Amino acid sequence: MGARDDGPGGDSMISQGAGASSHYSSQHDEHEASQGRRDSDAHGNSNSNSNSNSDSSSSSSSSSRSGGAKDQDKDTCNATSMMALSGGSLDTSLSASMMSMDGVGGSDAMSVAGEGANSNGSNDGDDSRRNETTTTATTADAATSTTTPTSADPSSTSFDVADLLDLSPVPTLVVSPSFHILRVSQGVVDAWKCSPDEFLGKDLFATLYGGSPLERFDRIPLAAAIEVAVASRKYNLCHAAYAAQGVSYSARIIPIFRGDTLLSLVLEWDEIEPGTAETRGEVIQHALSVDEVFRLLIQTVKDYAIFLLDTRGYVATWNTGAELLKGYKKEDIIGRHFSNFYGREDLDAGKPEHELIVCLREGRVQDEGWRYRKDGSRFWANVTITAIYRNGVHVGFGKVTRDLTERREAELRLVAAYEESAKLKNDFLANMSHEIRTPMHGMLSACSLLLDTALTDDQRDTANIISESGQVLLQVINGILDYSKLASGNFSVNTDLVGVASIITSVVRNVQMTLLPGVYIKLLLSPDLPKSAQGDPLRYRQIFQNIIDNAVKFTEAGSVQVAASVTGQDDTCYTILTEVTDSGIGVPEDAVQNLFKPFTQLEKPTKKRYQGTGLGLSIAKSLAELLGGQMGYRPNRERSGSVFWFTVKLKKIANSLNQLDAPYKAERDSEKSRQEAEKERMMKRIKELAPRKRILAAEDNLVNQKVLARILKSLGFQNTTIAANGAEAVSTLRASPNTYDLVLMDISMPVMDGFEATRKIRTFGVPIPIIAMTAYALRGDSETCLEKGMDDYISKPVNINKLLQKLLTWLDSPEWSSSATNGPS
Amino acid sequence: MTLPDDKELESILGDGVDLNTFKQILEMDEPGDNEFSTSIVFGFFEQAEETFESMNTALNEKDLDKLSELGHFLKGSSATLGLIKVRDGCEKIQRYGKQENLDGSPEPDTNVCLERVKEALTAVKSDYEEVEVGLKKFYDKDDEEEEGA
Repeated sequence: MGARDDGPGGDSMISQGAGASSHYSSQHDEHEASQGRRDSDAHGNSNSNSNSNSDSSSSSSSSSRSGGAKDQDKDTCNATSMMALSGGSLDTSLSASMMSMDGVGGSDAMSVAGEGANSNGSNDGDDSRRNETTTTATTADAATSTTTPTSADPSSTSFDVADLLDLSPVPTLVVSPSFHILRVSQGVVDAWKCSPDEFLGKDLFATLYGGSPLERFDRIPLAAAIEVAVASRKYNLCHAAYAAQGVSYSARIIPIFRGDTLLSLVLEWDEIEPGTAETRGEVIQHALSVDEVFRLLIQTVKDYAIFLLDTRGYVATWNTGAELLKGYKKEDIIGRHFSNFYGREDLDAGKPEHELIVCLREGRVQDEGWRYRKDGSRFWANVTITAIYRNGVHVGFGKVTRDLTERREAELRLVAAYEESAKLKNDFLANMSHEIRTPMHGMLSACSLLLDTALTDDQRDTANIISESGQVLLQVINGILDYSKLASGNFSVNTDLVGVASIITSVVRNVQMTLLPGVYIKLLLSPDLPKSAQGDPLRYRQIFQNIIDNAVKFTEAGSVQVAASVTGQDDTCYTILTEVTDSGIGVPEDAVQNLFKPFTQLEKPTKKRYQGTGLGLSIAKSLAELLGGQMGYRPNRERSGSVFWFTVKLKKIANSLNQLDAPYKAERDSEKSRQEAEKERMMKRIKELAPRKRILAAEDNLVNQKVLARILKSLGFQNTTIAANGAEAVSTLRASPNTYDLVLMDISMPVMDGFEATRKIRTFGVPIPIIAMTAYALRGDSETCLEKGMDDYISKPVNINKLLQKLLTWLDSPEWSSSATNGPS
Repeated sequence: MTLPDDKELESILGDGVDLNTFKQILEMDEPGDNEFSTSIVFGFFEQAEETFESMNTALNEKDLDKLSELGHFLKGSSATLGLIKVRDGCEKIQRYGKQENLDGSPEPDTNVCLERVKEALTAVKSDYEEVEVGLKKFYDKDDEEEEGA
C-alpha cells in the first residue's frame, strides 16, 4: 500500500506549486485536484458513502472537462480534444476501473483515462479490496481529506483542459508522430528534476537516451514498443524504458489516431520500485521472473537440444532446439527413454547406461558420437550430461546436445589434407634426396681422384675437407631418403643370406678406425649364431652400423661392447638379439622417450658437438620393426652409458632333404637371379674403385697373362702390371712399393715361384695384400698359400666372378690392414 | 657376333671343351668382333705346339723335371681356355714328371714315369688336335658368317 500512500503527498505538493504560479482557472483546478485527492483518500477509507461521492465527483469533473477544453486553450486544442475523446470512451467502457485509480491522486481526465486503460488484474484486485470495509488508511490521510471539504469544484467548468496535461503529477510526455516532444507534464519536471525546456521540441529518443554510451541499445525497447502500439492502435507497455534519478520507469504508450492519421503519442511513465517483487513474494513489478527468464531461455534456444531426463533416463522436458535437432515433437518424446537417440552399436556396447553411471560418479560426462534422429538419419553429436540435484537429492540429468556434423566433416577434411600433405612431403624428400645423391657421388669420386694426385699440404687439407664434408652430407641425404621411404611405406626388404657374425665383425673392423684413443671394443658373439640364414643383410648391417656409430661417437673413454646371440627360434625363424653397450655420455632420463623420434637430437643446438640429422635411431627402429624385430634402449647399469639393443627375425634355410623338391628349384632360380643382382652390385662397386687402384699380376703363361689382363681391364683396372715370374714381381714392388694396391700371384713360375716371391715381399715389409692363383686340383695348395704369407687364394682358371669378389674383399675396405692390428675379437 | 647357344657350341667344339670357361673368354671380346679370343686361342695353338716340341725333346733327354714343368705350364693355359682334356693330359704329364702316380703317391721308377709321360703325351696331342679342329671350325664358321652377312 506504500506506493499509493505516497501518491497523495506528491499531489499536494504539485497542487501548491501550481497554485502559487497561477491564474484563476488553475485555482479551480487545484480544488478539483484536492477534491480528487479526497476522493482517493475516501477510497482508502473504503467507506461506501465516500465511494458514491467519489463516483459523482469524478463523473461531473469529467463531463465539465469536455465542455471547457474547446473554449479555452487553442494551443493544445488538438491534444485536448483527443484526450477528451480518449478519456470519454474509456470512461464509459471502464468506469469501474476508473474508480480504482488509486495511487495517482485522482487528478485529471487524462490520467484517469490512462489509469483506466492500464487497469488489469491488480487493479481489479483493488476494486474488490476497496469494496471491503477495511480501514487501512492512515489517520493523516483521513485528516487531510476532512480539512478542505468545502472547496470542492463549484467552478469546475472554467479550468483550462490543456493545462491538465501540463500540470499532471504523472510524468507524461506528448510526442508528435515524428517523435518530437510537444508537451511535458509537471510530473516529469518534478520526478526527473529537469525543466520542460530540456524536452520541448526535442527528439524523444535523443532526449531520453542521449549521452548514454549504449544509446543505440537503450532506445530499442521503447522504439519497438511504440511501433507495436502504432501498428495495433492500442496502448502498449514498455517495461523499464527509462531511468532517472536512480529510479526505473515503465512507459505506457498511447497512440492517438483520428481516422487513420496518427496525431500524437502520449507516454506516461510509471515508477518501478525495486525490491517489491521479492518482499511480497510475488511478481508484480518485473515483467519476467528469474525462473521465467530461464524457462524462456531454454525453451527458445534453437541451436542446442537442452532437456531433462529423470533419474532413470526418461525424457522429462524438451526444448525447441531438441525438436529441431532430433526431429521429435515434444509430445512424441516426453516419457520415452533417452537411449532412443543412440545407434545399435552404442546400445550393444552399453553406452547410454555407462554414461549415466559415469555422470553420477563424476557429476558430468561428455561424449562425441553418432546420434539418431526420429527419421533415422544420424548426426555427429557433442553431448554433455550433468547430474542434477535438488537439496542434495538426485532428481535427474540435464542433457545438452550439439550437432557437430559439419565441424566433424571439416575436421576429417583437415586430417585428410594433412595426411595428403605429409605424403607429398615424404615423396618430395625421397625424390630430392635421390636426385641429390647422384651428383654427390660424382663429386665425391672426383674428390678422391683429386686426393690421389700430387697436392701441396694446403691443397690436400682443403680437398680432405671437401671429401669429409661430402661424406657427411651424403650420410644426411641417405638418412633422409631412408626416413622418407620408411615413412611412406615404400621401403623394400630384400631376402638374402645373412651371416650375423661376419656382418658384425666387418662393421666392427671399420668402426675401429674411428675409435677415440683410449676406447676399445669388445665383441661377444654367441657360438650358436647361425652361420647363415635368410634376411636382409644390408638392413641388418645398417641398423647395427647406426647404433655402433652412435656408441663410438658418444664414448670418449672406456669401452664399447657388442654382443649378439640367438634368443629364440622356432621351425622357421631365429630371433637374433644384438646389443651394443657403451660407457659414453648416456641418455638423460627425461630424454629417453624422445630417443626414437625423427629429427630429434638430444643435444641443445647451441652446443652442437655431434653431427647428424637426428634420423638415425628413428630409421634404425623402423628397420628393426621391418625385419620383424624391435629396438630399445636402457641405461648401462654397471657404469654410465647406454645399452641399445635390437632384435631381428631371420628365416632358417631349408635343409638339404628338401633340395629336390619343387620349391627348392624355385628357390634356386631366385637364388640365381639374386646372384645376378649381387654380381651387378659388385661390378658397379669395383668399377668405382678400380680407377684408383693398381694391380701387379705375376703370371708366366702368355695366354693366361693376356686373359688375366683382359679380365682386369674389363673390371676397370687401367694400369695393371704383369710380371712374367716371381723375381720380376719382387723387383717391381721393391722399386715402387707405394704404387700397387694388390698382387695376384701365380704359384708355379720359372726363375722364382710365387711362394718365394711372397716370402721376399713380406721380408722387406710391404703390407700389400697378395692373392695366390693356384692351379686347379693340386691339393694342399690353398692351405700352403696362407701359410706362406699370402692373404687369400683363387683357383685357376680364374673365374671372373670369383676374382671380382676377392678383389672387392681386399680393395674395398681397409680390412686387410686392420687384420694386422689387434682386432676386437 | 652373337654367342652361339650351348648345343651348337658343343657340336662344333666336342666334349674336350668346358663351355662355361670358354664362353668366359668369348665374353671378353668386344661386341662385333672376336679379335681378342682369336688371338688367345691361336696364341694357345702356337704355345701348345711349341710345348709339345719341348716335351718331345725333354722326353728324349729323360728330363722328368722339365716334363713336369712343361705339363704344368700348358695345363695353366689350357685350363684358362677350358680345354679340359688337354688340361687333364697336361696334369698327368706334370704328375708323372714329378714321379707321382695320379693319386699323388710317389712312383720311384723313372722309366715307368717316362713311359707314362710318353703315353700321356700321345694322348694329349690327339686330344689337342681334336679341339684344334673344333676351334678352327668355330672361328672359320664365324668368319663365313661375317662374310655372308
